[in-house]
Amino acid sequence: MANFILRKAEPNDVSDILRMIKELAKYEEMEEQVILTEKELLEDGFGDHPFYHCFVGEVPKEKQSSEGFTVVAFAMYYFTYDPWIGKLLYLEDFYVMEEFRGFGMGSHILRLLSETAVKTRCSSMHFIVAENNTPSIEFYKRRGASDLSSEEGWRLFAIDKEDLKKMTTPK
Amino acid sequence: MFNPRKAEPRDVPTILRLIKELAKYEEMEDRVLLTEKDLLDDGFGEHPCYQCFLAEWQEEQSNEEPKVIGFAMYYFTYDPWIGKVLYLEDFFVVEEFRGKGIGSKILKLLSDLAIETRCSNMHFVVAEGNHSSIEFYKHRGAEDLSKEEGWRLFCFDKDSILKMAAS
Repeated sequence: MANFILRKAEPNDVSDILRMIKELAKYEEMEEQVILTEKELLEDGFGDHPFYHCFVGEVPKEKQSSEGFTVVAFAMYYFTYDPWIGKLLYLEDFYVMEEFRGFGMGSHILRLLSETAVKTRCSSMHFIVAENNTPSIEFYKRRGASDLSSEEGWRLFAIDKEDLKKMTTPK
Repeated sequence: MFNPRKAEPRDVPTILRLIKELAKYEEMEDRVLLTEKDLLDDGFGEHPCYQCFLAEWQEEQSNEEPKVIGFAMYYFTYDPWIGKVLYLEDFFVVEEFRGKGIGSKILKLLSDLAIETRCSNMHFVVAEGNHSSIEFYKHRGAEDLSKEEGWRLFCFDKDSILKMAAS
């Protein structure tokens, strides 16, 4: 399999995007944590103010996946801001369906993301990887990525909704 | 008396000063390359890349101009499992004004905003050596996802991006 196209996601792609988000979560053993719906993905990505952007990888019908899908890869990203260096491209999710790996789709997507980063004057591309995800870590390190958690000791924290509500101004 | 407000274009020099003070506190002052012009274009243009709350302080019954003694820089990110997230990028109160509850008040404002904008979560990154900040956040319910879920922050710098774009 050599032919595939990469393109910007469209509203019609939302069900494939959600399917692949769930597949990726399953790969990370966290599938039940996906509570996002197609409706939210549609509003949040294709409304007046998109909160994320997506590239998708598509194969021709004759190369469809074993379950009949032609949209077989995606990368979700958005722009963040580093107060030391300015705009960054943040790669949030990046996934190629298993049967389509090893054909260069991942590398091509990363190239597209890099072109986007350069065009939009981003200083850097950031992303997080689970520490036990060795194949992904190798994939990224081979292309020059540095592990800021390791080198600079940054740790990612989260305050969830329940605790946010506890901190809000009482009504 | 402490008064929080949204930053305006005229605050850009103050924002940059506070960014540098926070970087100095983290012993990384020379890494701040951003200019006032960048901050102005990026924060107050058509598609702002960041937003800021400022903490102003004015002595009771004083005619002096209020001083900006703290700030929080934030923006919205997206978690593909739960949707919108409020991302707290920088959060700093000038040393002599700490311990007066200003940090808590700013965090409260951010929490109000997160709930109003239907964010599921607030995320932020803390240096593992910054014990006082870690305690401040853990005290309010923050979890260390790096520790609990093993997430590590990675980065492609500009050189690597250029190499990949040209590949």
